[in-house]
Amino acid sequence: MVDTIKNTRIYTTWGTKTAKPIQPKTAANIITKAKRPLLVVGSAVLDEEILDRAVSIAKIGVPVAATGHSIKGFVDKGVYARYINVHSLGGYLGDHSWPGLDGKGQYDTIIVLAHKKYYINQVLSGLKNFTNLITISIDKNYLQNATMSFGNLSHESHLEALDELIENLITGKQWRI
Amino acid sequence: MSKLTTGSFSIEELENVQIRIGSIVGVIENKIEEQREIGPTPKPGIVDLRDWDYKLLDRYEPVYTPMCDQCCYCTFGKCDLSGNKEGACGIDMKAHQAREFLLRVITGAAAHAGHGRHLLHYLIKKYGHDHPIDVGPSNLKMPVTQTVTGYRPETLGDLEQVLDYVEEQLTQLLATIHMGQEGAAIDFESKALHGGMIDHVGMEVSDVAQISCLGMPKSDAKAPLAEIGMGCIDSTKPVLLCIGHNVAAVTYIIDYMEEHDFSDKIELCGLCCTAIDMTRYQMDSGGKPSAKIVGSLAKELKMIRSGIPDAIVVDEQCVRADVLREAQKLSIPVITTNDKIMYGLPNRSKDSVDDILKDLVSGKEAGALVLDFNIVGELAPRLAWEMAPIRKKKGITALPDDEEFKELTSKCIQCLACELVCPTNLPISKAMKATSEGDLVPFERLHDKCIGCGRCEQACPKGIPILNVIEKASQKVIREEKGMMRSGRGQISDPEIREEGVNLVLGTTPGVVAMVGCSNYPDGTKDLYTVANEMLKRNYIVVMSGCSAMDLGMYKNDEGKTLYEQYPAKFLKGNLINVGSCVANAHITATAIKVAAIFAKRNVTANFEEIADYVLNRVGAVGVAWGAYSQKASSIGTGCNRLGIPVIVGPHGSKYRRALIGKPYNKDKWTVHDARNGEVMPIAPAPEFLLTTAETIEELMPMLAKSCIRPSDNNMGRMIKLTHYIELSQKYLGVMPDDWHIFVRGETDLPLSKREELLNILETGHGWEIDWKRKKILSGPSMKLDVSAQPTNIQRLCKEA
Repeated sequence: MVDTIKNTRIYTTWGTKTAKPIQPKTAANIITKAKRPLLVVGSAVLDEEILDRAVSIAKIGVPVAATGHSIKGFVDKGVYARYINVHSLGGYLGDHSWPGLDGKGQYDTIIVLAHKKYYINQVLSGLKNFTNLITISIDKNYLQNATMSFGNLSHESHLEALDELIENLITGKQWRI
Repeated sequence: MSKLTTGSFSIEELENVQIRIGSIVGVIENKIEEQREIGPTPKPGIVDLRDWDYKLLDRYEPVYTPMCDQCCYCTFGKCDLSGNKEGACGIDMKAHQAREFLLRVITGAAAHAGHGRHLLHYLIKKYGHDHPIDVGPSNLKMPVTQTVTGYRPETLGDLEQVLDYVEEQLTQLLATIHMGQEGAAIDFESKALHGGMIDHVGMEVSDVAQISCLGMPKSDAKAPLAEIGMGCIDSTKPVLLCIGHNVAAVTYIIDYMEEHDFSDKIELCGLCCTAIDMTRYQMDSGGKPSAKIVGSLAKELKMIRSGIPDAIVVDEQCVRADVLREAQKLSIPVITTNDKIMYGLPNRSKDSVDDILKDLVSGKEAGALVLDFNIVGELAPRLAWEMAPIRKKKGITALPDDEEFKELTSKCIQCLACELVCPTNLPISKAMKATSEGDLVPFERLHDKCIGCGRCEQACPKGIPILNVIEKASQKVIREEKGMMRSGRGQISDPEIREEGVNLVLGTTPGVVAMVGCSNYPDGTKDLYTVANEMLKRNYIVVMSGCSAMDLGMYKNDEGKTLYEQYPAKFLKGNLINVGSCVANAHITATAIKVAAIFAKRNVTANFEEIADYVLNRVGAVGVAWGAYSQKASSIGTGCNRLGIPVIVGPHGSKYRRALIGKPYNKDKWTVHDARNGEVMPIAPAPEFLLTTAETIEELMPMLAKSCIRPSDNNMGRMIKLTHYIELSQKYLGVMPDDWHIFVRGETDLPLSKREELLNILETGHGWEIDWKRKKILSGPSMKLDVSAQPTNIQRLCKEA
């Protein structure tokens, strides 16, 4: 087991609301309880080791919003993934009339992975202030504008944490795409 | 009684008497009245274009991404606005974010307008009120100014009144920042759009004034090439470095150096937009710029730390606040020449050159504030000349020697504090480790991606001067940093618009990609080259300005040629243009206005709304500020937005706090009127946004192609644009875009080479009805292809309205 909450360093703060550090098992429990989760991945997902894990999460049934140019990694992987610009997505997630990537409606839990830290933190800042969505960062950097986040992790610990999360997700509920 | 006019008059009976009338109250209104076609909004105030803004904001909704959840504007606070709470004054988070955005915009606009006013004071003093405006072979000399204010300046003196208007608007906008007052986010947004538009007027005044007086290229496609890069600086000579945006003082330096035979003996170089304008000075009749360009703001600290400059001259805007502190450590005297930057230095403007020189060379003073350009012109080269032997003898540089370098890199404890504070979270620790093991490559890679801010050094618990380590490790690649930049050519001329306007509006030239802004790139400078190269190969017109124009010149193809050397610089498809420095960005919006005026014969005078509506619906242009960091970049982008030009910024641009993004799934928002009869027509969602961000250039490139699609495209134009959109998506994202079909109005919009394949997808994937014998679409598209339609968002422009 890897401890994902012991190191939650930040450079500057956005304000009074800061992400609660979480362990992989807790993250898996919350994702399992979600009605409409969405995995939002950035271009850093194209690192093969991270991509394998993102695909594993998608195979459990979590749809993927592939932002940046990350969609490249999901071609022919047999999972549901759609390209979308993350800034647009940030806006749409606050709109109840958005039909979602698949036309089945809004999401309730947003999981973020493999992003530029400063960029996704801004998108999460919008979600934090203007929506009631639960946002969970399973990235290797502590993202203070998420509702919950892993702390700052080394690459190796991050992979280990993702494996633990996936293991717990598999034993939990499966979503229908 | 005949009307008085401004200008100089002689009185026949009185020899040697000349009367000059500089300004008459109400003269601007009189001049506007004299012109025949006056639009509805001369010199618009905050409220006058609000209806247009509301139309834009209804389709392109603000998406707020706060940088801070608190407001600390007044002593009621700090107020916690998180979760869109209201503060003590009643403002909520959305309105506060819109206010914050407005503040960025008017700060940027004030920087340009302040620059313009400073330049104008100096140029009028030197060349006189009556000095004619000369931008090259154009009747429409100041399209932005004319469209916004209704005024057609002819002389330098006329520009003063334009700036009076700009300054009044900026004051009124700044007043709205005060606590309380405005409570509606949408009205702060309208004010921000107003500020952006005003910025382009201020920029146009600045650049037109200097083009007219300082011999800068005038719509010249053959503007000369200038050397660029740290590697092209000859450090065996005394080196004089000029930093900033306002070239006024530097022109005196160039003149003095020429007159006193210093030009070949002293290496004159520049950083940021002053550098661009140094290479434009007196280049309107050809020649080779004597000054060289070091690069953008990202190179400031790096260049100073190298110890190469023997004297530094700064003016205004993108100049680091620690230039004096950094230079002082290396015995480089600093001359400040503008009241925006004084660094606490004594004002020596009334002292003799010899006295100032004595105090600076002896080290008695670290620098001097000198506002008299005649003194600066002589002082700066003489200072570099005298300092060079002293400094070279001592071998002063901040960079460590080989021994120190080893010691420093081995001090790193891999705590990652530097990476946490690095704006782009660069992998500094890994590079440090590799270097201590003798591998310099990781640091060489970081050198280009590092924006040279120095934040890492502030965080390092071991006190390692990290930037110096990066620069020391990268000496080999720095020596090879030698490129070429085409010096800024100014406006696009009227004849060029006559030739190319039709292709742009019909879409047969796929679009204009304007790459502007600063150097806060997410992944180094080469991205600019990759994007420009791809779009040029696809026949887009690529227009550059400011720091982007410089950084583009740093890369070469296999034959050793930069893009500036490979592509011609006319306003034609597949051409690469550099309009000039930061204030030359006004020529980009001016180009779109000229298309409306010259190609479509629209009246532009005081007619902003109609022209913006034309641009939004018919001119396929998109702006990219890939490394935007400054407030000026936000005002430039916002000015483009109000005129209907979408802008994409790099990922750091999300810190501007708000984007303007449409919702393609909300069909009601994507309609226009057909001006022929007022009928409502559905359109494809393009442009899909007015301001947004992209994470990587791979994501950016298909976005660029899609952003050039307009309702007015004819079938050939739409086919070309759709081809590029699909191809770029396949090349860089590895997939067909999900939404390509929504831009299809009929089978003739489909790319020829893929027509059958795409018809098949339309039938099987989207349920469209296809007549396969004739290869025709029978049903499916949500809009008709009607090349005669006149798309407009303004009902009053419709015949039946």
